[in-house]
Amino acid sequence: MFELNKKDDAGNSAGNAATTTSETRKDQPRTQSGEIAVIGRSITIDGDLRGEENLRIEGDINGTIQLPNHNLTIGKEGRVKADAYAESVIVDGVVDGDLYGAECVSVRSTARVEGNIVASRVTLEEGAQFKGSIDMDPKNVDAALGNIRKEFASASGKPSLDASKNSAAGSKAPHAERPDRAPNRDLGKAPKAESAH
Amino acid sequence: MRPYLSRSPRGAATARVEIDAPATINAPLLGSLFRMLEEEQDRRWVVLDLGAARPQTIKLLGRYRCRLDIANLEEGIETLATASDSTETTDTVQSLLPSCGPEKTDITFCWDFLNYFERDALTSLMASIAARSRPGAFVHALIVYSENLMNDQPGKFVPVDEGCLLNEAKSAPSIVAPRYSTEDMNLCLPEFSIERARLLSNGMQEYLFRR
Repeated sequence: MFELNKKDDAGNSAGNAATTTSETRKDQPRTQSGEIAVIGRSITIDGDLRGEENLRIEGDINGTIQLPNHNLTIGKEGRVKADAYAESVIVDGVVDGDLYGAECVSVRSTARVEGNIVASRVTLEEGAQFKGSIDMDPKNVDAALGNIRKEFASASGKPSLDASKNSAAGSKAPHAERPDRAPNRDLGKAPKAESAH
Repeated sequence: MRPYLSRSPRGAATARVEIDAPATINAPLLGSLFRMLEEEQDRRWVVLDLGAARPQTIKLLGRYRCRLDIANLEEGIETLATASDSTETTDTVQSLLPSCGPEKTDITFCWDFLNYFERDALTSLMASIAARSRPGAFVHALIVYSENLMNDQPGKFVPVDEGCLLNEAKSAPSIVAPRYSTEDMNLCLPEFSIERARLLSNGMQEYLFRR
């Protein structure tokens, strides 16, 4: 997966990905192999993306994105109409969908996000446009990401990398409990939230 | 049924108004809300901010088990101005508020917005807020009280810390303020009662309403 415009440390790349090299190096932690997948600005993907490496998106994605153990960057040229699950999410571009970050979600000044964010740590820069809800309850984050990690692990035939964190995950398929995709999404239904009321 | 956007009949008055550098204002009732959050760290809270998403608010509430709903009514005030009756106003308000789902709102931040609605629209707005709030929920509001003029757009208030707000808006006061009284508030917010009220150093009244 994510073979499009793949870069290596030597900077060998072709096409649009070459323009994003320096930003990629600055923003994005590397996988163990030192590789970051880049979806270039001329690429449009309709469907579900799943992967085991860091990803930078400069193109158009419609569907879902699952990188439960890696980092996702939606670059300034990126336009994502999808729910995205990742270890951390950085947004410079446009997102219409819900963002789930096990560690953090950063919405930068150039970003436009319409959807909900679920992450223990959320940062929003001045100038960023956001409409939706931000759930910073660690229990809800664990519940939301735990489901995805379990599904991801079973699909890839690997044990979950973070099974110990997923205490609230339950056995339901993650999509069954995901917020709907309507403009005013119902974040309250997303994970099995513990409510005091 | 329109937001309160009428211009000052004597616009020349604005020329004499100097724009002060943004100053922090102590908001003790806001401080009491944050103390409540602090004392009940294990509890999950749902907070509705009628303003835009602001980094400081997110950072401050990130310390707690919290869901923050952003309404961004700043973008919707002009839309509300076109509403012709109470039904349309209510529908517009509902479309502007993010879905709350099964979890009811515990706290609503309503910093300066109520000044920009006429009484009927204000009543419709707060009825919608009440419908999504749990019994006992709080609304923290700032209302222009002692000044005759106010900015033509709601202030951009951000929390500096738990009991301190900063208005980042740079414009000078240019329209007549409605200066709603506590009696007006009681009439327009029948589902809420005034828990406490304080006059702040910037001439605004700080209200803590409780459903």
